Amino acid sequence: MGRLNIQVSPTGRDLEGLIINYLKTLIPYQDLSTIYFAIAAVLLPLFACIVNCCLPGKRNKVSGWIATIAILVSCILSISIFAKIWNGHPAHIQQLWFIIGSTQLYAGILLNNLSAILLLLVSVIALPVHIYSIAYMKNDENYDRYFIYLSFFCFSMLALVVVDSMALFYAFWELVGFSSYLLIGFWFTREKAVQANKKAFLMNRIGDVGLLTAIIILFAQYHTFDITQLFGDGGLVSQSTITNGLWISPVGSLPAIWQYVACGGIFLGVAAKSAQFPLHTWLPDAMEGPTSVSALIHAATMVAAGVFLLGRVYPIFNTTELDILAVIGCFTAFMAATIALTQNDLKRILAYSTISQLGFMVMAMGVGAYASSLFHLVTHAFFKCLLFLVAGIVIHQMQHIKEDNDLDIDPQSILYMGGLRKKLPFTFIAAVIGGLALIGLPFTSGYLSKDGILIQAVDWSDNKNILFRLVPIGAIITTWLTAFYVARLIVKVFFGEFKLEQFHPHIKYHISDGGWKYRVPLMLLAVACLFPLFSLNPVLYEHAWVFTGFSSTHLQRINIYHTIVPIGVNILSLFLIYWAWAVYTERKLLIFPQTGLLFHMSYHEWYIDKVYRKVIVRAVMALSRVLSWFDRKVIDGFIHLLSTVTIAISKIAAWFDYNVIDGISRLLTFIVQITGNFVRRFQGGKIQYYLFSMLAIVLALLIYLSV
Amino acid sequence: MITLTDFLIVSAALFCIGLYMIVSKHNAIQILIGIELMLNGAILNLVAFGKFDKINNGGQIFALFAIVLAAATTAVALAIILNVYKKYRTIDPGRINNLKD
Repeated sequence: MGRLNIQVSPTGRDLEGLIINYLKTLIPYQDLSTIYFAIAAVLLPLFACIVNCCLPGKRNKVSGWIATIAILVSCILSISIFAKIWNGHPAHIQQLWFIIGSTQLYAGILLNNLSAILLLLVSVIALPVHIYSIAYMKNDENYDRYFIYLSFFCFSMLALVVVDSMALFYAFWELVGFSSYLLIGFWFTREKAVQANKKAFLMNRIGDVGLLTAIIILFAQYHTFDITQLFGDGGLVSQSTITNGLWISPVGSLPAIWQYVACGGIFLGVAAKSAQFPLHTWLPDAMEGPTSVSALIHAATMVAAGVFLLGRVYPIFNTTELDILAVIGCFTAFMAATIALTQNDLKRILAYSTISQLGFMVMAMGVGAYASSLFHLVTHAFFKCLLFLVAGIVIHQMQHIKEDNDLDIDPQSILYMGGLRKKLPFTFIAAVIGGLALIGLPFTSGYLSKDGILIQAVDWSDNKNILFRLVPIGAIITTWLTAFYVARLIVKVFFGEFKLEQFHPHIKYHISDGGWKYRVPLMLLAVACLFPLFSLNPVLYEHAWVFTGFSSTHLQRINIYHTIVPIGVNILSLFLIYWAWAVYTERKLLIFPQTGLLFHMSYHEWYIDKVYRKVIVRAVMALSRVLSWFDRKVIDGFIHLLSTVTIAISKIAAWFDYNVIDGISRLLTFIVQITGNFVRRFQGGKIQYYLFSMLAIVLALLIYLSV
Repeated sequence: MITLTDFLIVSAALFCIGLYMIVSKHNAIQILIGIELMLNGAILNLVAFGKFDKINNGGQIFALFAIVLAAATTAVALAIILNVYKKYRTIDPGRINNLKD
């Protein structure tokens, strides 16, 4: 090897220099350690997943710890990556993946502000959830399978946020959906869980098809999958324009319609993953999975993937498309909040509040509040995860009471709860902190992010058509609705009398907050729901570091809205909280009628599922029945005809074979057999036959010679 | 008057009866008897043709030798039959088929 290289480079030192120069051309400006850390952080959960697959025994307690340690190391690595990348130079490394024709495809890792904070967020949220899961799932029959799936999800999600190519992005997007499918149907013996994961999978398929379409169109237009080249500063997307019905980019042009189709496809992807209006119905049903899974995947991380996608491809949207995004996000937020008002299933209320908050994020993207949207994504992940973990503890305790006393109740129904603040004081405090952050009261993280969105929405509609005013108004009303349903939830669960005791006076129960594996995650997340983690100033969102990290222009408090909106929203929110408390504990003030159009609309989730079932499912079923008939009668009929003809022909051939071809050979064997049988008689070993045949031959010779 | 032809006819008849017995009988003794019959047919021929050699009486003397030899072969054959019976517990030549390939 060395001898071969001597002619190219006289000394070893030159060779080294060559390699370093080569690496420098490959990776322009950063040390490799960040990239290695990122790769390690992504691959560790996959490694844990594989190790857990190989562990013996079904309820091997080691598996939980392996997964937790893997995510802990990922988390530490993510923190160090984040410290290097945040507001510093983005790191980007690429490697030639494969070549088709003359097209070279690169795969690599892109670490900028967006991916660094998502990497940090996912691993930091996943860590407490893993610890919590060790306690929460300890009695499950498939303990190790749970952690295999959970590690696999973490791997997919971490990889999703760091990859730099749309093709890889799509691959991990699918893997994230797949692991979500596995986890929703984790208790696959329950019929409802199976239905729910099928529904989630099918609805996500719609979004996946949209995203795939968009990626293909982008490739057709720009001939690259690379995210930096496409969506970076001064990238191909920002240089392309639509003029005279043509979508012109520096490397080619397509009819303008394809730009709309691509944006529509991306929106479908976002709507499916982040549960936006037409495709949101899978998320409430996805609560059939274990609660810890709901906390990690269906509240904090996976559903944020849609918003993350929006953040990645943001430059592709033109103003009209952004307006549509804002309207749909606002509508989703409002609709989900109204539904959450009347639901009685603890996890379902939280699911609808997740949809509502995701609607806020999409709306924020639409109104141009890019930084606030991502800020809200981060804060929402913490407080929603916290609320779900609280719900998990409450449901777990209700389940214990149910099993100990052999009751026939739904452990998730808030109608049976109440007064739990004395039994579960620690959980209660965590729930209150999470709830206040969700409402967005001052001193919480939710206040900082949500009010940023509201103010910018108001700013955005200021110089637009009067109809666009509906968006900020809807958002503000949604905030009030949020205050009410969160207060209702907390009051119904933690205040008043324990309802179950009123229904069944003789039950015995002894419930508690649980061990440190429950308390520590709650504590960590509760701390992350308060303002100091995000901003030293508890009332001004402009100073939050997550916000300034994404916002290129420093926002000034240019008008009166920046003061009026937060004050007005919060004062009314406080009033609504008091009202809910009054209504649901004292039952003094107005008791809401449980009849009427609005109540039914909300209680039945705006009848959207029913409409889907009536219209889409029925249409699809009818179509498939027609197709099945066509298949059975026409295609199968043709094939049956073919098979009948073939059978007839083969029967003729078989007859010919048997009687003619086999007949000839059988005749030959028959002749041979007769001859043989005749001849063998002379060789029978009987001496008299020998004598007789000798005599016969002699006679024959005599006769022959004499004639 | 008994002519030469009559002797020859009797001799041919004896030979044929012997031959038939050899081919058809299932008993080695009977086959031996058949052989003796054939031998005697031949000896009768020798004696009958002996009238043309009245000086030396060659036919008569040769017949005497043949009779003696026949007696010897019969003794040998009976001994063989006895041994065959010992070995196979039968003297049916049809069942002693070890000569088969």
